[in-house]
Amino acid sequence: MQFSKNWLKDFIDIDISTETICSQLTMAGLEVDGYEDVSSKITGKDSIIKLDITPNRGDCFSVLGIARELSVINNLKLSLPNISSIESSFKDDIKVKACAEAPSYFGRTIRDISINSKTLPLIAERLKFSDQKLIDPVVDITNYILLELGQPLHAFDRDKLRGNITVRTAFNKEKIKLLDDQELVLDDSCLIISDEQSAVAFAGIMGGKESAVSASTNSIFLESAFFKPSIIRGKARRYGFQTDASLRFERGVDYKIQEIAIDRASTLLRDTVGGRFSEVTSSILKNQLPKQTKINLDLKKSNALLGTKISKQVALRYFKGLGFAPESLKKTSISAIPPSWRYDLTIEADLVEELARLEGYDSLPQLSLSPVYKKIELNSQSHLSDLLSSKGFNEIISYSFISREDHDLFGEGVTALEVENPISQNMSVMRTNLVSGLVSTFLHNLNHGQDTQRLFEIGNTFSLKNIKEVAEKNTLAGLMYGKVNKDNWKEKAKDISFYDLKGVVQDLLTEFKGPSTFENCKIDFLHPGMSSLIKLNNKILGFMGSLQPSYLDRLGLNEDIYIFSIELDGLEKNVLSSYKDFSKFPSSSRDLSFIVNKSIASSSIENVIKSSAGKFFKDIEIFDVYEGQGIEEEKKSIAVSVSWQSAKLTLKDSDIDFAVERIVNSMKIELGGELRV
Amino acid sequence: MNLDSLKKKISDLESNAKTEFGSANDKSELDNIYRSYLGKKGEVNLLLKSLGSLPQEKRKEAGKLLNNLKGDLEKNYALTSSLFNDKANLSRLEKDKLDISLPGFSNKKGSIHPVTRTIRDVCDFFERMGFDVEAGPEAEIDYYNFEALNVPEDHPAKDMHDTFYLNNEGLLRTHTSPVQIRTMEKSEAPHRIICPGKVYRKDSDLTHTPMFHQIEGLVVEEGASFAQLKGLLNDFLTDFFGEEVELRFRPSYFPFTEPSAEVDIRWKDNWLEVLGCGMVHPNVLKSVGVDTKKYSGFAFGLGVERMAMLKYNIPDLRAFFENDIRFLDQF
Repeated sequence: MQFSKNWLKDFIDIDISTETICSQLTMAGLEVDGYEDVSSKITGKDSIIKLDITPNRGDCFSVLGIARELSVINNLKLSLPNISSIESSFKDDIKVKACAEAPSYFGRTIRDISINSKTLPLIAERLKFSDQKLIDPVVDITNYILLELGQPLHAFDRDKLRGNITVRTAFNKEKIKLLDDQELVLDDSCLIISDEQSAVAFAGIMGGKESAVSASTNSIFLESAFFKPSIIRGKARRYGFQTDASLRFERGVDYKIQEIAIDRASTLLRDTVGGRFSEVTSSILKNQLPKQTKINLDLKKSNALLGTKISKQVALRYFKGLGFAPESLKKTSISAIPPSWRYDLTIEADLVEELARLEGYDSLPQLSLSPVYKKIELNSQSHLSDLLSSKGFNEIISYSFISREDHDLFGEGVTALEVENPISQNMSVMRTNLVSGLVSTFLHNLNHGQDTQRLFEIGNTFSLKNIKEVAEKNTLAGLMYGKVNKDNWKEKAKDISFYDLKGVVQDLLTEFKGPSTFENCKIDFLHPGMSSLIKLNNKILGFMGSLQPSYLDRLGLNEDIYIFSIELDGLEKNVLSSYKDFSKFPSSSRDLSFIVNKSIASSSIENVIKSSAGKFFKDIEIFDVYEGQGIEEEKKSIAVSVSWQSAKLTLKDSDIDFAVERIVNSMKIELGGELRV
Repeated sequence: MNLDSLKKKISDLESNAKTEFGSANDKSELDNIYRSYLGKKGEVNLLLKSLGSLPQEKRKEAGKLLNNLKGDLEKNYALTSSLFNDKANLSRLEKDKLDISLPGFSNKKGSIHPVTRTIRDVCDFFERMGFDVEAGPEAEIDYYNFEALNVPEDHPAKDMHDTFYLNNEGLLRTHTSPVQIRTMEKSEAPHRIICPGKVYRKDSDLTHTPMFHQIEGLVVEEGASFAQLKGLLNDFLTDFFGEEVELRFRPSYFPFTEPSAEVDIRWKDNWLEVLGCGMVHPNVLKSVGVDTKKYSGFAFGLGVERMAMLKYNIPDLRAFFENDIRFLDQF
């Protein structure tokens, strides 16, 4: 809502700076978006004030409403603009019929108008300042009243109406062509204005095309009606538009202003387009009008809630100023009936807000909240982020919605949750993992010269379990590309390998309880020979690996991109519950090297050695893997260092020799491995 | 051999050894000399072995004399040896001298996203005040996002939130307020919770991204008051910005709070909106079965990106989601 500051002077005798007015309105809850000083050809210095009105204050969608607020704040008298009585020369032959959803309907016919007259300059200027287009004098005046009093009016071409006017719900599939040429198919939740043949207006929203005022209009029928917010709400939006009228009706229009509005419009019409005025015809269903119910307020309670000491006398004065009919009750209680233009006041808390508003939020006291003791749980998510960040990973945050193409590429064939009204097709599918976000962030940075990157993201991923149910999982994923370290003046850094990726993943997994294992996997976008499932406690937690060569081609890249992904929900944090004693006796170790078939996984070798090394076995470490010269083809050499230790004694060489013999035997029997000498 | 000739031998040995120690050219020469006198087959030991030829009554005194000699020579050796060590160390110090201005071998540091960093800062403060950090789903349903928060179907307040709807009849939450409802549903009052998370609104321009982060706080306790809300937010903003900031509370509207307020802070001569807050609307408390006779509550919500922009002077909202490493590395 934007309006000329000088317009306020039609209602209140206000003489304060625009800046003060703006700050008063802001502090009263009517947020000022800004103002602009302008010069009016008629009233001189003026300003255009732009307000951002919250949906609860439908009453402030008019200059009258804003003037009313200012009158209470500045203790000024509020008066309505000039409304002269119109001499009517005939009785209207149109009968109108209100209904429960439109319990108050006023109309009047004006014949022989001069539609080609010019809109009064003051009206034209104010409309312009309110960013309202000028159309013709009749429409301009209805728009003017809408801005002035907040009452939307509609003018029909009288000669296009066929018989009496009824307000009724539409029939199912009833059609109407609106002023702006759009054709709507309505249903019985829509309210329409109908003549004896068809719908002539979408009630409270927009008039029909056929009965619209045009340059050849000779007579008009002016409508000033009250439509209930509940029947207007959501209707225009459902058809994808909103009008100045629907905006006001759905928030609530003063149900007592219709007659005043038709009189005020008549005054302006008479002064602009002339014509002969009929009597006002009306239909009012009194018991269908909104009921303003008495609200009781316990001042003691509200003072406690606000931390204030507002006296009863002051409270009564505030409510009176706002147009309530307040009453003093026993003890600290007050009752008040809200005015007909306020739809946002129904319970005690609403009155408390009015008190707070007038008292001024800033002047309300302030008390520190006392802290209460609470055990702060270790946040494993922060811990993981810190761990990764110390390993050189940059945390990223990408959008949860991705493109259909990216989902097809990286979605693992999971059924995705989709956005029905996406902002663009690139943001129409909810991600089922974090890979596409990492890859596109990686590409952005690569294009900006970052040739070594480590990225990670923690965020939710989404999939559809069935038609309605969503599985939302908190996931951690990362990407590695380029070099292991930074080059330095002494040595060049190595390229990142699968094992650097696995090292990061293993370090992350030590944060959680349970043994981790790795298995080959088949994921479309990963290299089948360089990827693995990540398991913890034998449950699949995620995956890691290098991107498929065909994907690299598509991205125009030669070097490998490594990716990991871990689901975080339900993981149990590894907390030290008890210290473990360590042996005071020396440990002994032996280096052993075996020749085995290439296809044998090192983990199988580890397992064989572990299970055959005897009860003093302590640890095994692979320190070399070799293929090539000196080793048969199809074979590899794997060197391990095995150590033993006893908690009670120093082991003898013979103990170790015995264990080594058993290892060598088992390796031969179980894996066909030969000790390399 | 008699005692006198032994004494003579000892005195000769002592002076010879000391002379030789003193004339050694380096540590290894010194050590050779040491061994020739004090080693297993050294002169001192040879002398010790010859004690048997002395009469019984003289052996004790002779042993004492030899031990004195041994101790004396050991001391002399140690002194001479340490001089050699000092010399060796000095030359090593000279040889090992580095150009300490060359850069160290450090690896690239990573970073925590400014949004995460800001969420941590905010949650830290509230956790110290005894708030629990709660989370909830981002793919929500109308009931938690609107209805339970006193936003009925078709209410114009829905226009304040341009909602993304999903193909499962759900929606992407437009604020973190549904977490309030879920928390109050699953546990009994009193409550102090803080709920950070992603929210979504169908809006994309210079100052809006379709996804952003919010932190919502809720207190439901006996005697929770607007004055406490003001005090808490004042303390929080001071903590967050690390210095006293000028605040302004002004009336506003949220369907789930009444009275509602918007909090502005004074920022470079302007008032900037940073928080929305208010006393929890009785309808909301009732919808989750909180006894409104006993408890009152207040809630507040803030935009994380906005707070981060203010704290770190970030001019463009979109930087948060572009994730340029040159931007991220600064945090």
